[in-house]
Amino acid sequence: MASTQLTDEELFSELKHFGFTPGPVTESTRPVYLKKLKKLRDEQQQRGSRAGKTRSTGAIHSPSGGGNTAGPRPASHDVTHLSSSRRPGRKSSVLGFSSDESDAETPVKRKGRQADRSPGFPQHPKIRPTTPSVANKSQYGATLNSTNSSPGSDRQRGVSLGWGVRARSSPEAEGKDYDESGDEDDYEGEIEKHSRSLNGCGASHLNTSKLAGDYSDSDEEEVRGPGVGDQQQERLVPNVRRSHPKAEFAFHVVGRGSQTGGAARQVNPPEGLNMVGNRREEGEGGKGKRRDSDTPGGLRSHTVSPRKTIYVSLAENHGGEAGKNNHVDGEDGAYRSSRFAIGLRPRFSNYSSLSQTYRSNHSNHTAPNHSYSQAVLKQKLSVPEDELLQQFKREEVTSSGSFSAHYLSMFLLTAACLFFLLLGLMYLRMRGSGSSEVDEVIKSHPFGSDFDELYNKTEKDLILKLLLNLHDHLAQVAGQYDCGDQQHLNRSLSMAEASTYLRSQNQDFDGFIETSLEWIIRTGQDVGIRLTGQVADEPLTDVSEISRLESSHPKMPFTCRFRRAFFTVISRVSLIAVVVGCVWSVVCYMKFRWRREEDDTRQMYDMVERIIDVLRSHSEACQENQDLQPYLPIPHVRDSLVQPQDRKKMKKIWERAEKFLAANESRIRKEPQRIGGADFLVWRWIQPSLSCDKTSSMNSKVWQGKAFPLDRRNSPPNSLTPCLKIRNMFDPIMEVGENWDLAIHEAILEKCNDNDGIVHIAVDKNSREGCVYVKCLSAEHSGRAFKALHGSWFDGKLVTVKYLRLDRYHQRFPQAQGSSTPLKASSPTLSTTGTMNTVPRLQHRGAGNSSGFS
Amino acid sequence: MSSTSQKHKDFVAEPMGEKPVNALAGIGEVLGKRLEEKSFDKAYVVLGQFLVLKKDEELFRDWLKDTCSANTKQQDGEITTEKATHFNS
Repeated sequence: MASTQLTDEELFSELKHFGFTPGPVTESTRPVYLKKLKKLRDEQQQRGSRAGKTRSTGAIHSPSGGGNTAGPRPASHDVTHLSSSRRPGRKSSVLGFSSDESDAETPVKRKGRQADRSPGFPQHPKIRPTTPSVANKSQYGATLNSTNSSPGSDRQRGVSLGWGVRARSSPEAEGKDYDESGDEDDYEGEIEKHSRSLNGCGASHLNTSKLAGDYSDSDEEEVRGPGVGDQQQERLVPNVRRSHPKAEFAFHVVGRGSQTGGAARQVNPPEGLNMVGNRREEGEGGKGKRRDSDTPGGLRSHTVSPRKTIYVSLAENHGGEAGKNNHVDGEDGAYRSSRFAIGLRPRFSNYSSLSQTYRSNHSNHTAPNHSYSQAVLKQKLSVPEDELLQQFKREEVTSSGSFSAHYLSMFLLTAACLFFLLLGLMYLRMRGSGSSEVDEVIKSHPFGSDFDELYNKTEKDLILKLLLNLHDHLAQVAGQYDCGDQQHLNRSLSMAEASTYLRSQNQDFDGFIETSLEWIIRTGQDVGIRLTGQVADEPLTDVSEISRLESSHPKMPFTCRFRRAFFTVISRVSLIAVVVGCVWSVVCYMKFRWRREEDDTRQMYDMVERIIDVLRSHSEACQENQDLQPYLPIPHVRDSLVQPQDRKKMKKIWERAEKFLAANESRIRKEPQRIGGADFLVWRWIQPSLSCDKTSSMNSKVWQGKAFPLDRRNSPPNSLTPCLKIRNMFDPIMEVGENWDLAIHEAILEKCNDNDGIVHIAVDKNSREGCVYVKCLSAEHSGRAFKALHGSWFDGKLVTVKYLRLDRYHQRFPQAQGSSTPLKASSPTLSTTGTMNTVPRLQHRGAGNSSGFS
Repeated sequence: MSSTSQKHKDFVAEPMGEKPVNALAGIGEVLGKRLEEKSFDKAYVVLGQFLVLKKDEELFRDWLKDTCSANTKQQDGEITTEKATHFNS
């Protein structure tokens, strides 16, 4: 990356752009800051590319729009104006400029950056003195850029138009000159860059034509400005990137103009580039800033070229020339001079020609130009920001594309749903309608050719119509019956009923009833009418046997059908849901039980361990103190280990522990003893003490003393807030067990047991630093806690404490807002405070074990 | 050679004065030599670097890594020492 070519100041300002306030950049801190800058840039690009896409498109549009109107010249005017306007107020306008930059994407951020940059441009002021002509030149240059790059000209114009206000007439002429030179530089994006740079440096460039001589000299120097300009450019580049793509274009315009302007331009480009670069970067999201830098790189050779690359990158960003952006950065480097050349050389072919001409002039100016251009750019940025914003607004319409994507997906989803719905309805409808069948019967009956031969047409029609009627009627009856309409008591019709109905339909049917029924019997197919005899399952052979008729294709009204279908579906779904629910609940229950089992077992083992500890320590005590009995009554042990309120709960666990000990622990013997006249079952520890055993099993969550005395040097004189953040109390990877965080709570409370103002403790289990957050009643309490905790050793780690803001604390732990009751350590005899426990020696072995008590 | 925590305790127990870089927790012979080559020959110079980096731990770590290829543990020790020496958290 071209970061290596940044000067200290540039690096400083670049970092500031990102909102990061670096310390002094010295030879020892430089690599660190470079890395940081790289990282920030990457982040920036990621962010920018997302956001900048629309912007860049927009930006592109705007410039092009702008460019069209005026033609190169006017654009340059704008640029020049911009640059010029910027120049005078460089220092002050830098601020404004910065904010402009950020407006496109993140107004707040930009502003900050801008502000940062202004201080970062202390060197730039020196460029200023280059003479107003330079400013003019830059402006001109800017316009030139715009004009130069024909492809970019549109953009440039847009840009310059954006900046429009400043356009000066004079630049026009200059612009022309620049155009020519600009053409040479025709990078895809470079043009943009130029415009940008021009804009940035614009002011200076504008005058290039006029002041080419003067300006170039000054520009050269400025542009060359060792690294300063580059740095600025680099800084600008990132900023530009972020800014609207439009900005980039503007810059390009500027940049180009600067080139033509020669020295003047060069001055501008660096500045412009930087500014532009920043803009562009912002806008583009790091698309191709680099490439842009390339174009400026060309400038480098002339001093302008570096700027150009920057501009180019700027422009590129806009144009989506991602590569260019890089150049911009590189260009910044180019400003540095040597490095820049290397990186940008290939790209600068165009520019080289240009730069050549300016080289002589620019070299002198480069340096000053850089600073100046940067400042100018900055200023320009601020000014054109408004215009850019407007231009960007246009671009934002393109973002609707994303919306349409959203709507499209929604639409597809609804379409699919509707489709399936319709399908279902169709299905229902199909099921329901058997009428079509009947119709067909009329046309093509299933009775075979015999039927046709036997009867003449009218008779045939009659018969068929009869059958049709019958079929319909039966279907209706069946349908109504099925739908719950109790009009008909039976789904089928008796023969008599059927005959009556048919006669009522048509008198002619009378004679044919039996005939048709006979035909139905004769045909084996299902015509929708089912005939049943007296005995249910017997196939009918004769009409006389028919007793009931039934439809096998009931016709139900649609709603009824739908309702039935609906109910069916619902019932099936609910059945499935119930089954699934049952299975799932069973699984959950099993899991629950299993976990409970685990818990119980763990607790049991916990208890067993404690008992062993107690007994062991007791036996040790006994060895020293011959007055004690070497055994302990079981109930006494239980009562000393289990709190009264927990006894009921732990009863089961205790019993299991007892059993376990009896079965698995060989060092403890259960025996009956008589103590004070009462019979007790006691436990006796029968292992001779091992010397090494004592300390190894210590749970060493203890406070181990202070590392250094707290005095004015290493603690704040007065406590600032009631909230503390304690670091390095634990290592989350190393922690084992379930309740180590409670142990931490306890430890803190113990350490501060004289301070009853702690109302909330939160252990951040996942933090690598071992953070614990504590809130106290007041600042005074927290101050005391601070003194107690800071610099102490805990569990082999040095604990540090710092104050936290109360609102942040509440943001993080909203439940702490309401807590106002001081917390107390659950057992006052824990840890290293040294109070005696009922079981001697347990305390200092089990400082951490106190957590077990709770 | 004493452990890191012991070194740390020793270091913070008294003002650093003219102690060499080797006295810093986490800086042993090899690293100390590398630092000295880069002209960070006294502990206070390293402290100075920490302060110049605005007491930013992350940057300090990067710097340590660059300068003397310190590993994480050594960096941690360093930082702890620095921080402890000059109150800051």
